[in-house]
Amino acid sequence: MAGKKLSGAEIVVEELKKEGVEVAFGIPGGALLDFYEALQQAEEIRHILMRHEQCAAHAADGYARVSGRTGVCIATSGPGATNLITGLTNANMDSSPVVALTGQVPTSAIGSNAFQEASTFTITMPITKHNFLVTRAEDLPRVIHNAFYIANTGRKGVVLVDLPKDVQASKVEVELHPEETFPGYKPNINPNKVQTKKAAEVLANAERPLILAGGGVISADATEELRTLAETLGAGVVTTLMGKGAIPESHPLCLGMAGMHGRIYANRALNECDALLALGTRFSDRLTGWQLDQFAPDATLIQVDVDAAEINKNIPVDIPIVGDVKLALSDILKWLKKESIREGSVWLQRVKEMHSACEECIKDIRRPGSSVSDILIKELNNLLDDDTIITTEVGQCQMFAAHYYMTKKPRTFISSGGLGTMGFGFPAAIGAKVAAPDKQVVDIAGDGSFLMTCHDLATCVENDIPVVVCIFDNRYLGMVRQWQELFFDKRYLHTNLGITPDFIKLGEAFGCYAERVEKPEDLKSALKNAFESGKPAVLDMIVGKEDKVLPMIPPGGGITGMIGTERCRRV
Amino acid sequence: MQTRVISLLVEDNPGVLTRMSGMFTMRGINISSLTVSPCEKPGLSRMTVTIEASESELEKVRKQLSNLIEVIKVVDLKEHDAIIRDLCLMKVHTKNVEARTEVMQLAESYGAKIADASFNSIILELTDEPERIERFIELMKHFGIKQLFRTGITAIARD
Repeated sequence: MAGKKLSGAEIVVEELKKEGVEVAFGIPGGALLDFYEALQQAEEIRHILMRHEQCAAHAADGYARVSGRTGVCIATSGPGATNLITGLTNANMDSSPVVALTGQVPTSAIGSNAFQEASTFTITMPITKHNFLVTRAEDLPRVIHNAFYIANTGRKGVVLVDLPKDVQASKVEVELHPEETFPGYKPNINPNKVQTKKAAEVLANAERPLILAGGGVISADATEELRTLAETLGAGVVTTLMGKGAIPESHPLCLGMAGMHGRIYANRALNECDALLALGTRFSDRLTGWQLDQFAPDATLIQVDVDAAEINKNIPVDIPIVGDVKLALSDILKWLKKESIREGSVWLQRVKEMHSACEECIKDIRRPGSSVSDILIKELNNLLDDDTIITTEVGQCQMFAAHYYMTKKPRTFISSGGLGTMGFGFPAAIGAKVAAPDKQVVDIAGDGSFLMTCHDLATCVENDIPVVVCIFDNRYLGMVRQWQELFFDKRYLHTNLGITPDFIKLGEAFGCYAERVEKPEDLKSALKNAFESGKPAVLDMIVGKEDKVLPMIPPGGGITGMIGTERCRRV
Repeated sequence: MQTRVISLLVEDNPGVLTRMSGMFTMRGINISSLTVSPCEKPGLSRMTVTIEASESELEKVRKQLSNLIEVIKVVDLKEHDAIIRDLCLMKVHTKNVEARTEVMQLAESYGAKIADASFNSIILELTDEPERIERFIELMKHFGIKQLFRTGITAIARD
């Protein structure tokens, strides 16, 4: 396509088409007029007009997590770009591939405090994997190509491209679709054979092997390999929040999520194992607790991560493996075939017993001592099909879901892990529904979180994106209230949200289906009505004002020091 | 805690310095010296960064720097297998003939050049290992240092 004169905006759009972009979430503005003119010409790309840039970033993030493809969001200069920041930080912390395009004032005005000017390039440097300020239209093909390449390879993340107005408008003759990359960017994909062999030996000889599956397993599409390895070894599997869905939680070897609000036996297994294979996890403090001597004290630790900077960062490891999780697991499996695997160990029996104890609790919907919130999530396990995509807001609703919801498939549990962003779940659900229009998408929300981004109900209605928001309505900032109750003598400072709004009227004002669920028994029909309405829906589920997410590791505690375990069967 | 010298080969783009220094800021590590200059490869620059850090901090920083897209190579230079140099310019009081003679003699013995001289002061220039420069500065303090400038460390690995 050499020799053709294109505007900068047209070049960007041509490169987006070449990258296979099918949807972009954005809001136009003064510094993006040229870009939107060019985007309009590309019929392949659906543009979804959001109502707040933060939601555009979350939607792109949700789209990426569900589809595995790079999400694209667009915002104008100044406030448009600064509104993106929370969403981009969130995506980058959870290694979700997103490319953000931002308008910028003309290059001649940069640095002059022009109208709607913010130094997007400088502001986004620490919250992105990489970013570009493009000052010449000639650079655009290489920049856009590399933005997508960097975002969705190695440890995935966010790449932002800042596009000054004059760069979008200027017409230049360039060669499109370059293949050239950056000399300093070579993701370490291939694991070292010596290391994978050592890992296989340790795992084969372990008496109590355990696999800790993080988000990296899902992002590397390594769930089949994970399951095969666990079954071959007779190893238990625990997950992080980001790893939920890496293995079906109904699988007899799966002990569910570990950590602060994890399942008691997931944490117990971490404490008891003698070999731990950690896959694509960064050992966040919410996973390990704060008494590190309780975290896998007897285990030989093997860590696989595509990002060398994660190895040894939070926990010292014995066998580091830098590389793609899928490739590393394939290698370990190859080595193992030559080894002899012991069958039916004592540990295998114990893992299965621990699994049964948890499953029993989840299936026993009205177990004495259960809160309304517990019951509602347990009900959802029965009411939603295995393909349903769950997104969550942040706080109690998120941890109830993480604890009790049985995720069956990868890329169906979408939550804000690293940043813990209230308001993430609903716009992420929009992105999820766009990525998978044939699947049911349910946002498990708190009333506090939902109010932070609920304006994008307008986006859902206007673009026919029927997601169902299930609000766990306790009129509190519930998780903070829980901490105030447990650790600050019940002084509920500024966590009471009062009585407004009426979520039914709110939903209806936007044109959504809305229904109140006063009792858990009403959930079934309400969900059915919501799905059958074909409209975006708001279900206002009344939960106990003082429902608590338990068990939990109290702040400063370790993984064997969970409180609130009275309801758990001892095994 | 120990002094560490990190040598970086980077793309010569606007923002690279901010990106690199941001890596240290995020970890609360102070950069005690920094030099940046073009190198033998067109379009690339070399940076020499000196920090005070433990072995584990150094390891983390080194990996994080390697992750920066525009950073092509990261080497942490060990003192014994690198040539490390610093350049120092200082203006020293020479209030009388005795002081002047003594300053000039000491300068000569350290291999410092006299870059300029006036009635009241002498400007000395010394390129050397940082430690020798420290010693020279200590000596000159006896006469009174009016102003002191140092470029910061630059370093090259031996073969």
